[in-house]
Amino acid sequence: MEFKKVLLHGLWKDLPPFRLVLGLCPALAVTSSAEMGLGMGVAATFVLIFSNMFISMLRKVIPDKVRIGSFIVVIATLVVLVEMLMKAYFFPLSQQLGIFIPLIVVNCIILGRAEAFASRNPVFLSMVDGFSVGIGFSISLTLLGSIREILGAGSWFGVQIFGDSFEPFEFMVRAPGAFICLGIMLGLMNFYSRMRGETLIQV
Amino acid sequence: MREIAKLVVVLALICGISATILTVARQNLALKIEQQSDFYVRGPALERLFSKPASELLSNKISISAGDNSYPVFYLMDEGKITGLAIEASGTGGYGGNIVIMIGVDIQTNQIVGMEIIQHSETPGVGSKVEKSSFRKQWKGLIINESMKLTSQGGQIDAISGATYSSKAVVNGTNQIVGLVNDHRDEIMSLIKANSK
Amino acid sequence: MDLLLLAIGAIFVNNILLAQYLGNCPFCGVSKKLSTSIGMGVAVIFVTALASIFTWLVYYYILMPYDMVFLQTLAFILIIASLVQFVEIFLKKQSKALYNALGIYLPLITTNCAVMGIALLNIKQGFSFFEMIIFSVASAAGFALAIVLFAGLRERLMVSPVPQAMRGTAIALVTAGVMSLAFLGFYGMVQ
Repeated sequence: MEFKKVLLHGLWKDLPPFRLVLGLCPALAVTSSAEMGLGMGVAATFVLIFSNMFISMLRKVIPDKVRIGSFIVVIATLVVLVEMLMKAYFFPLSQQLGIFIPLIVVNCIILGRAEAFASRNPVFLSMVDGFSVGIGFSISLTLLGSIREILGAGSWFGVQIFGDSFEPFEFMVRAPGAFICLGIMLGLMNFYSRMRGETLIQV
Repeated sequence: MREIAKLVVVLALICGISATILTVARQNLALKIEQQSDFYVRGPALERLFSKPASELLSNKISISAGDNSYPVFYLMDEGKITGLAIEASGTGGYGGNIVIMIGVDIQTNQIVGMEIIQHSETPGVGSKVEKSSFRKQWKGLIINESMKLTSQGGQIDAISGATYSSKAVVNGTNQIVGLVNDHRDEIMSLIKANSK
Repeated sequence: MDLLLLAIGAIFVNNILLAQYLGNCPFCGVSKKLSTSIGMGVAVIFVTALASIFTWLVYYYILMPYDMVFLQTLAFILIIASLVQFVEIFLKKQSKALYNALGIYLPLITTNCAVMGIALLNIKQGFSFFEMIIFSVASAAGFALAIVLFAGLRERLMVSPVPQAMRGTAIALVTAGVMSLAFLGFYGMVQ
């Protein structure tokens, strides 16, 4: 039962970045296309699963005082690894994401999950938690990326879906569009939660 | 005291392990990363310079060092003879940092076959015009034995209006390559011969 | 002249928050009151300046000569994290007043992507030492400017009749979008 709860919580209850308002920077910066959103989501999921795994394994060894420092080292190592893997196998994507790959290090979701879950739960459950939150994050980013790409460039995953007469709504792929799009999505999400009778987490 | 010792030991161990993992990973991936960056960044430029598929050209690569810098050099072989060189250099002084360019040289006539921008971070719409063919085509046919200047300094290259810094950076890069071809020609040739055997 | 343009560009045109999307977590988190946002802004300028200098020196004098550039991310985050700790201890000992004013923001800064982002941009743009100092201080000042302006707007929003579902972060993001639109007006001011 516990397993199922942990597996599903990242998909709705703690869905980042909508319900768990963390990790806004990548959610805004790399969602100008669906492909970039998905790439970022997958990279973050990889880091989340393994950072949760290692931190859970080390949770009894790491002294409380240097907890955050040790977490950061573990996360940074994984991020550097992802950076190298992406350069070796997905070079164009890694060039597009640019400095936002190294910036996964300071993504609050990862440190947040390490602190809130992995440092006090067994290894397997922590990996499931990382997987769940990571998948939630990937879905959210791909969704945002799709909306912005379809409206802003008239394409989806790089494939043109409208005819020539479509005039792209360029505002959507620029910075202001990112903020407003995320804000409205967040509002809709809140609206839906209220209809389901859930209490709002944000104030 | 014992507690502090424990803190230091644990942190040092974690750092040590992570550094080891990363070093091993890098040793295994470095070659692959270089191939990928050649393929995606330099490949298209090489194709445009020599109108041959990048896969034929990318493996013809040597590296030559002059001063503090090291320059990647690609060469074109035609029936066992070296016919062309493509040299990459990084021109300093751009508005958004260095501009990396590549210049193709026909080795028999000493003429430049073209100039390509490999990487830049100039302002979009202004400095980024260095990528335009109207700017780049000025290089075509120039003889590679004297250094180049902008027309404002009595040279042969028209700067992009409003983007003097970007234009200057490209000329800087060109002059590095001109110097390299003139001063290290024999060294380049012997390295290529050693490499192509 | 160039350095002035660089500074203006970093503050207005390429504002770190509204055009480069860095540092959004504290932007939404601590911008509810004007006074806290000023504290955060000052703390970020201070830490960014220090962190940029250290990371720049480490990159060009340690990582580059020993061919360890691939460890950049790891090295930078460790420098920033330990720097923040050090500043906190130092302030606590030396200046009680400053510590009381800035102390609570310091731990938040470790995971502020603006600081790390500026450090990475300094390297990516290939800045010289002076350009690096101007750019990082100006970018951090841009962050401070945006967060202070935003806090002013948000204080008003608190008493406005916003639809229930849009309250909180949702309306904050939409407001940030409008601000970002206003900052787009500076585009083209520099070169």
